[in-house]
Amino acid sequence: MTSNTSARKQPAIIRFFASIGAFFMGAVHAFAQGDVWVKLSALLWGVSCLARRQFVKGILLIAEQLLILWAFFGLLWPYLLKFGTLGTVEAEQIYDPVTRRNVWNNYDNSFLILLFSVLAIALAVAAVVLWLRNLRLAREVELRAKEGKHINSFREDLRDCLGVKFHRTLLALPTAGVLLFTVIPLLVMILIAFTNYDRNHLVPSRLFTWVGWQNVSSLVNLTASSSFAYAFRNVLVWTLVWAVLATFTCYIFGILMAMFINHRDTRGKKFWRVCFMVAMAVPQFVSLLLVRNFFADAGIVNTLCKNAGITDWLHSIGAIPTANYIPFLTHPAWARPMIILINIWVGVPYQMLIATGILLNIPTELIEAARIDGANAWQSFRSITMPYILFITGPSLVNSVVSNINNFNVIWLLSRDVYTTSDQLMANANANEVDLLVTWLYRLTQDQSNYKMASVIGILVFIVCAILTLVAFSNMIKGDKEESFQ
Amino acid sequence: MSNAREFRSKPRLTPARALRITCRHVVLALLAIFWLIPIVWLVVTSFGIDKGPNLSTFFPKAYTLDHYRAILAPGGDSVNQFPRWFLNTFIIAVFTCLISTLFVLMVAYAMSCMRFKARKPLMNIAIILNLFPGFLSMIAVYFILKEIGLTNSLTGLVIVYSAGSGMGYLIAKGFFDTISKSLRESAYLEGANEFTVFWRIIIPLSKPIIVYTVINAFLAPWMDFVLASLMLNSGVSAQKTVALGLFSMVDKVNRNNYFAQFCAGGVIVSIPISILFVIMQKFYVEGITGGSVKG
Repeated sequence: MTSNTSARKQPAIIRFFASIGAFFMGAVHAFAQGDVWVKLSALLWGVSCLARRQFVKGILLIAEQLLILWAFFGLLWPYLLKFGTLGTVEAEQIYDPVTRRNVWNNYDNSFLILLFSVLAIALAVAAVVLWLRNLRLAREVELRAKEGKHINSFREDLRDCLGVKFHRTLLALPTAGVLLFTVIPLLVMILIAFTNYDRNHLVPSRLFTWVGWQNVSSLVNLTASSSFAYAFRNVLVWTLVWAVLATFTCYIFGILMAMFINHRDTRGKKFWRVCFMVAMAVPQFVSLLLVRNFFADAGIVNTLCKNAGITDWLHSIGAIPTANYIPFLTHPAWARPMIILINIWVGVPYQMLIATGILLNIPTELIEAARIDGANAWQSFRSITMPYILFITGPSLVNSVVSNINNFNVIWLLSRDVYTTSDQLMANANANEVDLLVTWLYRLTQDQSNYKMASVIGILVFIVCAILTLVAFSNMIKGDKEESFQ
Repeated sequence: MSNAREFRSKPRLTPARALRITCRHVVLALLAIFWLIPIVWLVVTSFGIDKGPNLSTFFPKAYTLDHYRAILAPGGDSVNQFPRWFLNTFIIAVFTCLISTLFVLMVAYAMSCMRFKARKPLMNIAIILNLFPGFLSMIAVYFILKEIGLTNSLTGLVIVYSAGSGMGYLIAKGFFDTISKSLRESAYLEGANEFTVFWRIIIPLSKPIIVYTVINAFLAPWMDFVLASLMLNSGVSAQKTVALGLFSMVDKVNRNNYFAQFCAGGVIVSIPISILFVIMQKFYVEGITGGSVKG
């Protein structure tokens, strides 16, 4: 199905602009061909509705227009004017001779200027869309009136909100939530990547301003010797290695474990399953903080290893730098594998559970038929069970890699206050060897107030995830096997 | 699993096979021990006599209930305010759960059962937005909430957890997709509008996915550490959530005095959370595999 439609259609980007053009031209035609009320409604939105006796709707439209105009020019305009400079008046205390006190001057807040400018631009775009849309609707209603067709009353419009236009009612609040608390903040953070907002330019006492591509180039410039470029390369590589390893170790071990437990020779399947699920049901912040103390330099595992002579033996073969403890979570060569192992401990039960659900649903006729044809256990696993599991869980693997790139909890809870880097260049960039891009981002904002670099990193995380998703999706569409198991 | 067919196909018990079965169970037991050791350590430390982490032996030298008493009745302790954290998290969880469940079901219905021009574009936008690290937008949300005075408050956290929840609609949509179209069509023929179909037909049929969504939304504030630490940064113990509070018990300064209490608190929150988790997983597996295989 996909290949058929995509061959017929033009590229998405062209279709996108074509539909915008059509929308715009439709409004222009509506204005040119409409009667005087349609033309007037380009100035005052509700006029045409009033002329067609849709009084409530007309008044609501006029109110909407006035509200938008007031919000734009009354509230947001002063901020939008300063968008080019992000403010010029620095905060300072001025002696007020009347009250004989120092008072704050009327200073600019760069962050608010940025935020309200983004809001103003978003509002302006929305207003233009609404304006053009109203023109088209006004023309449509005019035509209906001329043809003597029925024009909806306000009551009927309301009824539509639970009927054919129910999707608008349903989506209004969730979309508003996403718009206000995800999209607008994201736009603001993306813009901050092009400013010098860091701890030397903290609002409200200081101003920050535009610096162009400076932050981006200091991070991704491959020839630069800056500590940020160095740290970025290291952290990016480890993030990708981690995401792939964490996903596939959990995936493979989870499936193997599920098959092991569901094997016909295993007694007490429920009991074994519960054993592993206990580890999963304890909240991560409890289990990970616990494990981190378990493996601490002066922790219980180290005491036991020391008593058993393991520590001395490891020291004698040169695997650890000191004979006192095994640096499970404090030395890069140990911490990285340990973190992946601990992630297996956390993640495998979950994968096992999902795989169990899938295994129980596997069509038994397939396996039975293979057995009759003389297939052994390994053959039926390789040609039936595994392709079947891959078919069901394959798409979610890409999501798992993406969510492991953003897997904050495991790394942060295991390394916070525990792991310190000995690499001076990494330390200069406030990164360390076990950091993922997201934990680095978190530390840059929370400990260092380095918002400019944090947002560049955030954008780069997006680009990495987007590339992975695109590659995976295009491969999946190529190898579309939707019907092979139906 | 012990149906007749399986019983018939079971081979005879030869000594070699008996050995294989024993090995299988030994391996399983070893794996289970490996998985359970940290949990056992959590429980025994919470009952142990030491205040800090037990460094010399796996099992504590003597047992006591003091840590549970301390964590449940902290009095004016400056670090431990566990009952207060529990209450805070519970309030946040209830409101988050209500709002996000509503949002998720609403979006899922619109995307699954209705057809309109903006449907595909909106779904694509949601995919794109999900590729940004969630924490990035939250930095700006923090500044916005700070301007309106909602940081360090429960309201702020409810907003943070539930405002964008509509984007997590995919699993519920997948479930709605499996509900037969003819059910809805016969309702339309009898004159039902979309709202009636949503409320009277789809919702009553979607028990597994509703339970999954409710528990998932309810658990989020209990499990989350990142956003809570971003929004509640005043350092006042009484304002914290459970995750944040327990984390503060094992930082460098407090660890030696509060580690056992942390374990006790961990055990206390783990019990209700595990029960919910087990229920949720059952419904999750039901909803997912039921949809994708039988659909």
